[in-house]
Amino acid sequence: MQNIIEEIAIRVEKGKVNKMSPFPPDMKDQDGADEIAAAALKEGVKPDTLLEGCMLGMDRIGVKFSENKVFVPELLMAAKAMSAVMKHLQPFLESGEVKHRGKFVIGTVSGDLHDIGKNLAAMTIKGNGFEVIDLGVDVPSNKFIQAIQENPGCFVGLSALLTTTMVNMEKSVRDIRENCPDTRILIGGAPVNQDFCQKIGADFYSADPQGAVEFLNRMRAN
Amino acid sequence: MPIEGLKIIGESINDSIPSTRQLFETNDIEGILELVKMQDERGAACIDVNVGTRSPGFMADIVSQIQQITTKPLSIDTPDIEIAAAGLEAYRPDLANGRKPILNSISQSRLEMFELYKTRPFIPILLTTEDVNENGEPVMNKTAMETYQTAKKFMNAAPDIIDDFSNDQIILDPGIVPIGSDSEGNFKRLMETIQLIHEDPGMTGVNMSVGLSNFTVMLPQKCADGTPVRSALESAFLTMAMPLGFNMIIGSVKRNYQILPENHSALQCLTDILNLEGFDIITRVITFYS
Repeated sequence: MQNIIEEIAIRVEKGKVNKMSPFPPDMKDQDGADEIAAAALKEGVKPDTLLEGCMLGMDRIGVKFSENKVFVPELLMAAKAMSAVMKHLQPFLESGEVKHRGKFVIGTVSGDLHDIGKNLAAMTIKGNGFEVIDLGVDVPSNKFIQAIQENPGCFVGLSALLTTTMVNMEKSVRDIRENCPDTRILIGGAPVNQDFCQKIGADFYSADPQGAVEFLNRMRAN
Repeated sequence: MPIEGLKIIGESINDSIPSTRQLFETNDIEGILELVKMQDERGAACIDVNVGTRSPGFMADIVSQIQQITTKPLSIDTPDIEIAAAGLEAYRPDLANGRKPILNSISQSRLEMFELYKTRPFIPILLTTEDVNENGEPVMNKTAMETYQTAKKFMNAAPDIIDDFSNDQIILDPGIVPIGSDSEGNFKRLMETIQLIHEDPGMTGVNMSVGLSNFTVMLPQKCADGTPVRSALESAFLTMAMPLGFNMIIGSVKRNYQILPENHSALQCLTDILNLEGFDIITRVITFYS
């Protein structure tokens, strides 16, 4: 079992999606995340085990990313390999045999059309076993509030890339607080920092997706 | 050696650059003016001024201060019409050898910014990557043809606003996105858009500009062999785009932009990407710097 977790983790970490994929060059012609996951399920490995492999792989690449040892392209490939595994887990997630570890609503705030940072956070958090409800870009407060109300107990993440849309982030945090006072609010994006997080009364700021994952895991443990 | 025919709008006075923001926060005007001087001396054609969400009065004051030490025209960089109005009003063409300021930028969802032309004529940067839907809300263009059509809409409307109109009174921004996460093929859309604008006889002489540093954000500084990543890829883009009439960037005067030889690995990388799709684009970027 340990072996399968490691087999999946290494492919997620290295971004080895499937056998056909020529990337990374040093794993050419080897089975990818896709084949390993399919074979494991066929042999009766529990779907939970595959999810554990994803989490381990995403955790490793997330740490390397926050240490500047790898960059956005490598993180994207890891997420791609992870989704190759998740595709096999989908039926089990739908039937309830495998459970998500929590729910996470995410979106880029009103007036801002940038999605890269938001997508990276969404993928990394998904890789940590969360169900991610992605509201897209240019999301007004009422859409966040509606999604939070439809997903009780969820966390919410707000992204902004422009200094000019930080005011909209502030407004969204205020609106969410007013309507959903118990919801934990995470914020991120290039112009955002810890001071701003405190100023607008959000719960958590992280400069990279891994920080958000660690926060979510701490919250779950409490 | 700077590239002949390439005009650089110096990017350094921008609130989204952490070190510059620090200067704004501490009201370090001396520090700001140092940055202006440095960019002026290193050959910036124009100085961009972005004060983020600070007040219109702050913009006006910074513009006046900067014009005390440079004769380069300024680019007033904000999507906010009041901040733009204050910057344009404070700008004095007589201190820039009579040259107009640039207004960065106007999109289809904020066409009202053109009204400011009446009080202070400017050269607009027109954002072609987004248009508006029937409710007037901004929507991203998805194809080169859509992006080009937005450019055409602007070009058709501009002569009614701009006195003694000629195409060179316009700067079109065809939109550049980070190549390191470009799984949707935006780079190809960009190159096709530049080509469409270049081939349109009605757009001859129009300026084209992008925020070039954005192209290589989120990438490592150096390749595995120690050669630079960012200046190489940015130069590769210029090498491909300048023959198509592309002539301006918002960029760094410190960056060593060059026209690259055909066999340069960065140029090969971008040429390959034109024929790739999805995550193959991402892995091609990784193999360039690995």
